[in-house]
Amino acid sequence: MSTTTLRRTVSTIRDYILMVVAALIMFAPIYYLLVGSLKPSAHVLDGFAGFLPTNLSFDNYVGVFHSLSSDATGYFWRFLFNSFAISAVVVIAGLVVNSMAGYAFARLEWVGRDKVFLLIVLLVIVPFESVAIPLMSLMQGQRDTLLVQMIPFIANAFSVFLFYTFFLNLPKSIEEAARIDGLGSWGTYVRIVVPNAKPVFATVAILTFLSSWGQYLWPSLVTSDPSARPLPLEMSVFSAQVPPDWGQVFAFGTLLVLPVLIVFLIFQRYFVQSVAGSAVKG
Amino acid sequence: MTITRTLRRSALAAVAVTAAVVMTACSSAGGGVSAGTGTGTINVWAHQGQDSENAALQAAVDGFNKSQGKVTAKLRLISGDTYTTTITSTPKNQLPDVLEIDGPTLASFVYNDKLAPLSDYVAKGTISNATPGSVAEGTSGGKLYGLAMYDSAMGLYGNKKLLDAAGVTHPTSFDSAWTPDQFAAALKALSAADPSGKALDLNESGLSGEWGTYGFAPLVQSAGGNLIKNGKSVGMLDSSASVKALADFATWKPYTDPNADGNAFVDGRVGVAWGGHWNYPVFSKALGSDLVVMPLPNMGQGAKAGAGSWTWGVGSGTKNGKAAGLFVDYLLNDKNVTAMTQANGAPPATKSAFTADTLYQTGGALALWGEQLAHACAADAITKDCLAVYRPVTAGYPTITSKFAGSLSAVWGGADPKKSLTSAANAIDQNFADNNGFK
Amino acid sequence: MASPVSTPMRTLIIARAPRRRRWRDTRDGVLMSLPAILGLVAFVAVPFIAAIVLSLYNVQVDQARAPKFWGLTNYARLFTDPVVSASFLRSLVNNFVFAIVVIPVQTGLALLLAVLLNRKLKGVRFFRTFFFMPVVFPMALVAVIWRLILDRSPSGLLNSAVGFVTGGSVPAHDWLGSAATALGSVILLSIWQGVGFQMVILLAALQEIPEERYEAARLDRANGWQQFVNVTAPGIRNTLIFVVLLTTILAFRVYDQVFILIRTAGANEGATQTLLYNATQAIYSENNLGRASSISVVLFLIIVIITLIQRRVLRQRSEG
Repeated sequence: MSTTTLRRTVSTIRDYILMVVAALIMFAPIYYLLVGSLKPSAHVLDGFAGFLPTNLSFDNYVGVFHSLSSDATGYFWRFLFNSFAISAVVVIAGLVVNSMAGYAFARLEWVGRDKVFLLIVLLVIVPFESVAIPLMSLMQGQRDTLLVQMIPFIANAFSVFLFYTFFLNLPKSIEEAARIDGLGSWGTYVRIVVPNAKPVFATVAILTFLSSWGQYLWPSLVTSDPSARPLPLEMSVFSAQVPPDWGQVFAFGTLLVLPVLIVFLIFQRYFVQSVAGSAVKG
Repeated sequence: MTITRTLRRSALAAVAVTAAVVMTACSSAGGGVSAGTGTGTINVWAHQGQDSENAALQAAVDGFNKSQGKVTAKLRLISGDTYTTTITSTPKNQLPDVLEIDGPTLASFVYNDKLAPLSDYVAKGTISNATPGSVAEGTSGGKLYGLAMYDSAMGLYGNKKLLDAAGVTHPTSFDSAWTPDQFAAALKALSAADPSGKALDLNESGLSGEWGTYGFAPLVQSAGGNLIKNGKSVGMLDSSASVKALADFATWKPYTDPNADGNAFVDGRVGVAWGGHWNYPVFSKALGSDLVVMPLPNMGQGAKAGAGSWTWGVGSGTKNGKAAGLFVDYLLNDKNVTAMTQANGAPPATKSAFTADTLYQTGGALALWGEQLAHACAADAITKDCLAVYRPVTAGYPTITSKFAGSLSAVWGGADPKKSLTSAANAIDQNFADNNGFK
Repeated sequence: MASPVSTPMRTLIIARAPRRRRWRDTRDGVLMSLPAILGLVAFVAVPFIAAIVLSLYNVQVDQARAPKFWGLTNYARLFTDPVVSASFLRSLVNNFVFAIVVIPVQTGLALLLAVLLNRKLKGVRFFRTFFFMPVVFPMALVAVIWRLILDRSPSGLLNSAVGFVTGGSVPAHDWLGSAATALGSVILLSIWQGVGFQMVILLAALQEIPEERYEAARLDRANGWQQFVNVTAPGIRNTLIFVVLLTTILAFRVYDQVFILIRTAGANEGATQTLLYNATQAIYSENNLGRASSISVVLFLIIVIITLIQRRVLRQRSEG
C-alpha cells in the first residue's frame, strides 16, 4: 500500500471514529429517554443501569393516561390536540398570509409599498420575547383559549422576508405569460407563482412548525387551565409533581416528541434544506 | 417624507396603545357583589389535592346539590402549583362564586378586590364555630373574607427503628425538642448507621416555592427572628438570629437525601423527614408503629411550627352571594369537615370537628401537633408559649414568600445567609414602599 | 429567528403600465399584504410600544388602583438599585457568559461535524440524522431529560459516569445546584440541543465551496490545516458570521430550560437566571408589570446593539 493510500485510510478511520463517538454522545440522552420510558420508574434514575434495557414494558405509557384523567390534570389527548391544532393553524394560515404579503412586496407596485416594507424589515429584529409580556397584559381577556395561542403568530416578519426574497428571484417570464393570458395578480399568484414556490413553502412550513410545536414561554404566560395547555408546557408541569414518577415522565416526553421525530425522519431532506436555506437567505 | 410619515404613524399608535394599556392595566371598577336570589348555579373553584381530598370535596358538592333543590354547585379543580397564579391572573369578573384561597395569599386578593366579605352571606353559626386560627387566617383589614375546612400541622417525622439503631434519643415533647447541635449530631449518627449515608429528607425540590416559607420560616421565628414586623422586613429578616437559623439549616445538607424519587423516608433511606399532616396517611401505612412525630428543632426561642392552609371565600364578582354563602355553610358542617380531614389527615378548622378528632386529641398519633394548634399565634404576635405560627397576613405576602423562599433555596445551594437575607429584606421593603404599604 | 440584514429594496423596473392596471396592482397589493401587516402591527408593533409605555409606570397586571407614572425609575432600578440590580445585572452577566462560551464551543463543534459530514464518506446521511435529531426536541423536554442526567445523587447518570471514570474518588456533585457548575450544565444541554442546527447551516456553506479551490491548494502542496485556513475558512466566512450573530441573539433569549431547571429541578437561581427569567419572575412573584416591561425593552435594545455591531465591525463582503 502506498503511503498516501495508507494515510487516507487512517484519516478515514479516524473520521469514522469521530463521527461514531459524536453520534453516540448526541443519541445517548435520546436513548435514555426511550429506554427510561419503558422501564419501571425506580430503575430510571439508577446510574448506568438506567441505560440497560431490562424489565421493559409499556406500563408507564398506560400510567401516563391514568395520571392525566381528570379535568384538573388535563387529558393527554387534549394536550396533543392543542399542540397540533395550534401548530396547524399557525403554519397553514401563516403560509397563506405571509406568502401573499411576500408576493405583494416583491412583485406588485403599489402606493406606500416601500415604506411598509421598511417597517416589516424593522420588525424582524424585534424578538418575540420582548413583546410577550406586554402582549399578555393586553390580551388578558382571552386567557386559556387556543385562539390566543394561534393568532399572534400567524403573521411573521421573517417568513414574509423569506417569501419576498424567493419571489424576487423567480424568473419574470412565468408571470408575464400569465399576464398576457389575462390573469390578474390573484390569479397569477395562485395558479402560477405558488406551484413554482414549493421550496420556500416547505422551508417556511418546517421552520414555523418547529418553533410552534416547542412553544413554552407564551403558553406559560397565557394559560393556566389544562384544557388550553399545549404539550411542552404540560411536560414541565407533569415532571414537577411530587413525588415524581420518572418512568411516566419519560413516557410522556417520548409521546411529546414522537410526532415531530417521525415527521423529521420522513421529511429529513426538507428539514435540512429549510434550515440551511433560511441561513443563506439571511 | 418617509420619516415624518413613520413618526406620525408611530405617534398615533403610541397614543392608541397608551389608552389601551392604561385601560387594561386598571381592571374595570364597579359590577361588584350582589346577593342574588339564592337560587341558580354557582361555580366553585378548588385546588387539586390528593385523590382522597378531591373525592371528599366532590362528595361535599354532590351532597350539597342533593340536600336542596334551589342551588346547584359546579366544582372545578385547578392544579395546586399554579392555583394562586391562576387566581392572580383571572380578571375579577371571571372569578367564580366560591373559591378556595391559599391562606396567606388572602390579604393580597382582598387588596386587589377579588374577594367579598363573608359576614353578609355566611351564617353566624358557621362563623362562631370556626377555630381562632381559621378566623385569624381569613381576616384582613378587620373584615372576614375566608373560613377554612382544615388547618395544617407539621413537624418532623421519625423512623423509630432507624433512630434506635443509631442510638439517637428523639424528642417526644416541645420541651425536649432538639437544639441545632443536637439535631446535627442526630443526623450524623443516623447517616453513619444508614447504608445510604443520608439521614434527612426535607423535600428540597420545593424549597423555592411556598413549601420553603411554610416549612422553614418557623426556624427563623424559633431563633427569635421573623419575616416582617410592622411592615418592615429589614432588621427582622436579616437580623443575626434569622441569619444564624439559616446558617444552621445549611449545615444539614450533607445529610440530606435529594429524594428525586420521593420515597426516601418510606423506603427507609432516611430516618427523619420534614413533613406534615398530608404525609401521615402514606407514612403511617408504610411504617406503622415505627412512625414517630416530633417538633421542629428549637433554634433558641422555643420550637415553632408552620400553620394555616387553604381557606374558602366568595368571589367579588359573584351575582349570587346568598347561594354562595349557603354552599360555604354546608361545606363547613361537621360531616364534610370530618370527611375531608379523614381523607387528608389535616386538623379540622371548626371547633366542633377539632374536639372530636381523635388523631389530634390526647392519645392520638398526631396529638403533639394538635397541641401546636392549640397554642397558635399570628406572625406579628409571637410569644414564648406560642407553638404554631401563622404566616403573615398582609397584601405584600407574595413578595415576602418569594423572596424568603428564594433566599432559603440560595442558602441551601451555598449562598451566604447574611447577604441573601439582607437582599431579600431590602426587596420586600422596597415592594412595600412601591405600593404605599398596601393601604 | 432574526435576520441581520436590511437588504436595500431592489427597484423593480417595470414598463409603465396602463393606469387601470396600476390601480388594480395597488388594490391587490394592499389587499394581499394587509393580513400580514395587520397581524404584525397588532401583535408585534403594538405590544412593543406597550412595553415601552408600561415600563414607564409602576403598574401591576390587572390592578385595581390607577397605575403611577414613574418615568425612568424602572430602568434606573434595573441598573443601580441595590435590591433590583443585583439579580438583573447578574442575569445580564449570565447571558453574556452563555454567549461567550456557546459561540466558540457550539460553533466549533458544529463546524467539526459539518467538516466530517462534508467528507462524503459512506453513510453520511445516517450520521447526519443523529447529529440533527436533538434539534427537533422541544427545549422543555430537553431540560427534563438532562435534569435526570445531572441529578445530584450518585445514581444520576453524569455522576455515575464520573464515578466510573475516576474509580469512585470524586463524590457525587450537585451539577445544577452548585453555583460553580450550574451555568455550565445549562450551557451543556443547550449546546447538545443546538449544535445540529448550526451544523446543517455550515454544511450547506461548505458544500458551496468549489472543489477546484481545494485542488489548487493541493497542487500548491498545502496540507490539511493550510487548506482549512486558506480555502475553507474564507469560503464560509459570511455564513460563519451569520451563525455567530444568530447564536449571540439566541443566547440572550434563553428561557425555557432555565425556567424549568430553576423552578422544578433545584438549579442555582443566581448562577443560571437570564434576562427573560428575571422578566417573568417579576410577573410571577411580584406581579410587577412595569419592571417586566422594562426588562423586555432592555432585551430588545441589546439585540439591536448586537446586530448593529455585527454589521459595522464584520462587514459582510459579497463572495467573489
